[in-house]
Amino acid sequence: MTVVEYFLPRSLAQAVDLLSRHGPDLLVIAGGTVAMPLINDGISLPRQVMGLRFVGLDEIEPSDGGLRIGATTTLTSLLRQRHVPMLAEAARRTASWSIRNMGTVGGNLFTPPPGGDVAVALLALDAEVTLEGSRGRRTLALSEFQTGFMTTALEPQELLTGIGVPAVAGETTYVKFGRKEANTPSVVTVAVRVARDGEVVTDARVALGAVGPHALRARKAEAVLVGSSLEPGAIDEAAEAAAEECEPFDDGIASAWYRRAMVRLFVRRALEELVQHVALEGR
Amino acid sequence: MGSRIVSFELCGREVEVLVSPMATLQSVLRSQLGYTGTKEGCRQGGCGSCTVLVDGEPMMSCLLPVEDVEGRRVTTIEGIAPVAGLAPIQQAFIEKNAFQCGYCTPGMVVLTKTLLDHHPSPSRDEIIDALGGNVCRCTGYAPIIEAIEAAAAGATTDAGRDAGDWPDPSGER
Ligand SMILES: Cc1cc2nc3c(=O)[nH]c(=O)nc-3n(C[C@H](O)[C@H](O)[C@H](O)COP(=O)(O)OP(=O)(O)OC[C@H]3O[C@@H](n4cnc5c(N)ncnc54)[C@H](O)[C@@H]3O)c2cc1C
Ligand code: FES
Ligand code: FES
Repeated sequence: MTVVEYFLPRSLAQAVDLLSRHGPDLLVIAGGTVAMPLINDGISLPRQVMGLRFVGLDEIEPSDGGLRIGATTTLTSLLRQRHVPMLAEAARRTASWSIRNMGTVGGNLFTPPPGGDVAVALLALDAEVTLEGSRGRRTLALSEFQTGFMTTALEPQELLTGIGVPAVAGETTYVKFGRKEANTPSVVTVAVRVARDGEVVTDARVALGAVGPHALRARKAEAVLVGSSLEPGAIDEAAEAAAEECEPFDDGIASAWYRRAMVRLFVRRALEELVQHVALEGR
Repeated sequence: MGSRIVSFELCGREVEVLVSPMATLQSVLRSQLGYTGTKEGCRQGGCGSCTVLVDGEPMMSCLLPVEDVEGRRVTTIEGIAPVAGLAPIQQAFIEKNAFQCGYCTPGMVVLTKTLLDHHPSPSRDEIIDALGGNVCRCTGYAPIIEAIEAAAAGATTDAGRDAGDWPDPSGER
């Protein structure tokens, strides 16, 4: 452990002030479930660290039919909310009970693949992030926030303070596939949202996790779905498109080849599940 | 700058301890406070042998800077057992052979305690769900699940009997 100073600010203003005084050398942690393992192993050797556990950004509030989620809201709180079932499901499939009691929703947006299971659901919901620093506050689409492998649009003097989820338009499904059922790194995670006018799809989101540098939208697959009636041919074509446009990698969990094959399979299953849901509800 | 005093409630007792910056709760419990019931496995959040309760909620003490528990209530395996004898959960673990080497057991028992506080009669699926972050390399989990079911049902033969009454493997006592 190389840490010489650990700051625990009690408000956002204090946190922003510490960040502007200490600059980019100050490592920020929230739940610590990504940062602490690296520190324990000596892979990360920070001298100054700021913990966000007491800054008071841990509330979830309904807002305009959607949700306002404070950045340091725990995954357990996300699991317990009832407003957006897909987010509860994404939290339920993330890590384990003890880790969910520590890990935060904001931290999940910084988690490198194959992590980031909640980010995938947020991407399918068109979530926005709020960033605040000494130069003020700005809002960005999540799709613009995640810029690469472990890189984001966050400026050095900024903190992620909240996540905005608009009212959910359409139906959703969330599927995470790992090597085991619980507490498992993802082979592929799929979050789908489809809005329809009668039978015809008017808007579609197909978000993929663990098959790219961060959560990705499969835009070609989305384009296939819009205008379709989710008939089997369209579902197959969308699954094929998603498999082509994803950017899978090899790791200890799965090969890139296998991940691509599983994208094809699980995008199809997610869409089939969605069709079934709607059929059941329509009865 | 540097070291500071952190105070919190540990198993019902107020403790104050001088810690170096960002020492983990796990290392402070084990190396400074002598509470070695909390184990050290992976230090990656991945095994659950370091599970403790913070304000009644399970957390991995290997990932928790000790400064973060200032003013809070920490319960370790040492706080689960009554002053004399064993808690029903511990008794259930013995009767169902829910451990072999015992390394995972403190984490498992602490987790079970909070599971039963939250859900006095959990379903088998809820038990399995709760155990998702706690690894056991010996038992194959089935005896652990059975022990938790037994503890929930109050189905241990003699909950809380004196530790001195343990069956003695040598047969002589
Ligand atoms: C055993 C185990 C299993 C796991 N399983 C899963 C899983 O199944 N799926 C999954 O998606 N993840 C998993 N994770 C990863 C992790 O728990 C989650 O991604 C969690 O949401 C991360 O949040 P955190 O607050 O703990 O991150 P931290 O470790 O606190 O943060 C990581 C980094 O993100 C940045 N950061 C975080 N919050 C902010 C903020 N508000 N402002 C600015 N920067 C910030 C900082 O740079 C920080 O160092 C697992 C982790 C462990 C240890
Ligand atoms: S030592 Fe903490 S989870 Fe393994
Ligand atoms: S009894 Fe040996 S690890 Fe569980």
